Amino acid sequence: MIPDRLPLQRRLRRAFFPVSIEREIADELRAHIELQTRRYIAEGMSEAEARTAARMRFGDVERVRAECKDIRDDMEARMSRAELGQELRMDAAFALRTLRRAPLFTTVAVATIALAVGANTAIFSVLNAVLLHSLPYRHAARVEMIWNSYSRTTASYTAVAVPEYFDLKTQLRAHDAIAAVRLQPSALLGDGGDPERVNAYVVSPNIFDLLGAKPALGRSFGGDDGAPSATRVIVLSHALWMRRFGGDPSVIGKTVNLAGFVRTVVGVMPEDVRFPDAPLDFLRERADLWIPTTWDNLRGDARGNQIIGVVARRASGVSDARAKADLDAAAAQWRVDYPQRYASENAKDWSLASVPLRDQMFGSVRRSLVVIAVAVGFVLLIACVNVANLMLARGATRQKELAIRLALGAGRMRLIRQLMTESVVLAVVGGLLGLLLAWLGVRILVRLGADELPRIAGTSIDGTVLLFSLALSVVTGLVVGVVPALQQSSDGAREGLNVKAVGIAGRARGGERLRLVLVAAQVAMALVVLVGAGLLGRTFIALQRVRPGFSADNVLSMQLTLGRPKYDSAYKLVNFYQQLLAKSSTAPGVLHVSGGDPLPMSGDGWSGSYQVNGEPSGPNDPIPHAEYAVSLPGFFQTLGIPLRSGRDFEPTDTRDAPRVVIVDELLAKRHWPGQNPIGKEINSGGPASWWRVVGVVGHVYRAGPQSEGEPQLYLPYAQNAQTTLSIVARGNGPASALVQPLRSAIRALDPDLPIARVRPLSDLVSSATARQRFNATLLGIFALTALFLASVGLYGVMAYVVSQRTREIGIRMALGGQPSSIRWSVLRQGLFVSFAGLAIGLLLSMLTSRAISGLLFGVQPLDLPTYLTIAGLLLAVAVLASYGPARRATRVDPLLALRD
Amino acid sequence: MPNPAPRSPLLQGTLDLLVLKTLARGPRHGYAIARWIEDATDDALRIEEGSLYPALYRMERRGWIDAAWGKSEIGQRIKVYSLTTAGRAQLRAESAQWSHFTAAVAKIVGQP
Repeated sequence: MIPDRLPLQRRLRRAFFPVSIEREIADELRAHIELQTRRYIAEGMSEAEARTAARMRFGDVERVRAECKDIRDDMEARMSRAELGQELRMDAAFALRTLRRAPLFTTVAVATIALAVGANTAIFSVLNAVLLHSLPYRHAARVEMIWNSYSRTTASYTAVAVPEYFDLKTQLRAHDAIAAVRLQPSALLGDGGDPERVNAYVVSPNIFDLLGAKPALGRSFGGDDGAPSATRVIVLSHALWMRRFGGDPSVIGKTVNLAGFVRTVVGVMPEDVRFPDAPLDFLRERADLWIPTTWDNLRGDARGNQIIGVVARRASGVSDARAKADLDAAAAQWRVDYPQRYASENAKDWSLASVPLRDQMFGSVRRSLVVIAVAVGFVLLIACVNVANLMLARGATRQKELAIRLALGAGRMRLIRQLMTESVVLAVVGGLLGLLLAWLGVRILVRLGADELPRIAGTSIDGTVLLFSLALSVVTGLVVGVVPALQQSSDGAREGLNVKAVGIAGRARGGERLRLVLVAAQVAMALVVLVGAGLLGRTFIALQRVRPGFSADNVLSMQLTLGRPKYDSAYKLVNFYQQLLAKSSTAPGVLHVSGGDPLPMSGDGWSGSYQVNGEPSGPNDPIPHAEYAVSLPGFFQTLGIPLRSGRDFEPTDTRDAPRVVIVDELLAKRHWPGQNPIGKEINSGGPASWWRVVGVVGHVYRAGPQSEGEPQLYLPYAQNAQTTLSIVARGNGPASALVQPLRSAIRALDPDLPIARVRPLSDLVSSATARQRFNATLLGIFALTALFLASVGLYGVMAYVVSQRTREIGIRMALGGQPSSIRWSVLRQGLFVSFAGLAIGLLLSMLTSRAISGLLFGVQPLDLPTYLTIAGLLLAVAVLASYGPARRATRVDPLLALRD
Repeated sequence: MPNPAPRSPLLQGTLDLLVLKTLARGPRHGYAIARWIEDATDDALRIEEGSLYPALYRMERRGWIDAAWGKSEIGQRIKVYSLTTAGRAQLRAESAQWSHFTAAVAKIVGQP
């Protein structure tokens, strides 16, 4: 490496060679030839001869000149780079020294930046983990989910029926692979461990090839896997493999008992593959293992039994438009083939919809995270204004120093560079501290968002986050430094030597105006964040106020999965629950106990079509749709769902007894307004026997308080036995007290039965609004930060204004000015600035709140009370922040002020 | 080019060494450096003047020599080069290398 010349030498060199590089080279070469010529003349040549000979001897002057110039240019470039580097080092060292000498200023500025950069870094690291990291599938960009959609305006999707999947398989041409998936919670037994309930997904065997995921161990599905006659195999997730088998590679080829069937483990997926990794609509659980199936056994199933999710991969190079046209063509074909289902009045908005895998997994999360990121960005801007104002105020005290440097010949650019270096050093120090805060903040965020944000657990401060935080700090430093640097280095600063020029209403007012504008901007930004937080907070409160139609207090829920071979008949299943209810209803602390599936707000869903006896069901008549559930006797009483008329299920509603059904008030009103619904008949369509309505119950918000949902109907478990059921029990005390009694009742009946999802029902209810809580909490924190920073900023500037006006105030006092009028003149200035900020902020809020209207519930984007409350709050804070300095103004001693 | 006496072409890479050595005797301008090398070797070594100046510029860039304006014998403004501390160190290193090299060559060439 060539050592660089020291900049000092470059400067000396310039002082000695005040000529251009071209001149320098030309002069030197000419001198050489001249000397040679003289020598030849001295040796006796004529002048003309000598000159020619000297030129000949030198060779190609032009070539030498060009070569020398290249070298000199390169040398200049290297030296100026070295000079810049050295100046920056000097500036940074100087900045650190200066900052150390102003500890109060430095502490406040660094703390402000640390707070803001820390908050931004924390939020960014969540964004980074949740949204920016790519999915672990090679073909992820081409993979999409295909749904039934019954609305053209809102993005609401319904699962697909198995026969529909087979149609898609043969009809879609723009897609080169299609697979179906369905969650099947199962008991995993054997291999020595305790029985465990696992999230098994039944999948088409091509699912991993479709996604582009390779197994970490063994093989993935292929060949005739999943065919009815084939060996029963499974692939394990990495998590289950570690948890259950201790990461033992010899697990490949071993057999396990899964839901009563012996299955051979053929592969283990890598750690990051848990398909579905984030909720795909109703497929919410991450997979523990996968079971292959060809779905052939369900090929003839009802088209109304929409139970699977369909994953499809576009052929490469297929455009959005072509994929959409392909899907529309399939839909058109279905309308022709099954007009009653897809072309009736009821289904007029029906279509096949596709959603890219990434949007499906993270689309709704993205919106809230972006809003939070914008809010935290505003906090950073407000913090920047505070620091910039601090630096402006400090600049006033440094005017002398800068004026001296200008007078000694420092260029304006040089001075700007030095001031900017100072602010960047300040910001980078603040940023480093902010990183520490972010590290803490990330832990809080992960806990806050654990329920609601997929992949948030993977949040960490990685290289990307570090880079972001560093870049943010540097940019902050530049933003914060540019205004003060420009102002302080301005020509006016030369007057700084004349101390008396400062302090009289005059030149200093320019800086003051700038500061007031900045503070107004701060107030405006704080208002925007506060309004956002207010609207989201009201959303959360409105959701809490929704009466969900049931009572979750003191109710415990747990989920049981009764697998083969022990429970291989409906009789055994029903019998088990009969015994369990009998046993546990007398357990200590238990008031009511029952069971049902799906539970309200559990995230599980079950919906389908039905038909009503007596209503026309021709090809063009609508097929009504409802939310289904099964329940044991006592379910409504346990959950506090009111029985409007008729009766609950009874133990006498057995498999051999007449089929019965309980409907909710919405369904009763839909079909039998003004009539007694009891005794009416419905069923799920087709030739099945009719179910007689025996009771009407209240409607329950099943998916969450955000939407009322569809009409509901309940089937008796005894007539519709299934392997998975949730037990619910209401106690006379906290739900947690019921865990032990219920557990021992279950253990007494079957010690091997895995018990899953043991949670108070109130947890399910609160997790249904977890995202709204997450949004409101975070935005609330940032809004308070913004409010605090803005009030500090306002206070600081008002205090500064008063200190600058000390002389003027002194004169006014000496001339008999009233303290109250002086106080008012300061206060008025603060209020004027605040009102200006409020006005701008209100306008901005009207725009931003419209952008977040999708996140709101029960409150309008332009909700007047929210706006007024927040504007009032800010105004009150502004008055407080201005009042202190205003009062101080009246304490100015006229004599001291004038003498100063 | 007139070439009255047989002269050896300069060995590759030795020009730097010769220039440094010359400047070790005191500051000189470019022409004087060329002349001094030829005189000191009784014109046995011939400096390629076209390559002398790029060599000087390169050495200046490396920080081995410094340049300053001075006056020539006939009163022209001319660049005068002098050795820097780094240049002195470089000269020592290159001289040692050169002795090593010539000694090695002499061992072979000097054999009967």
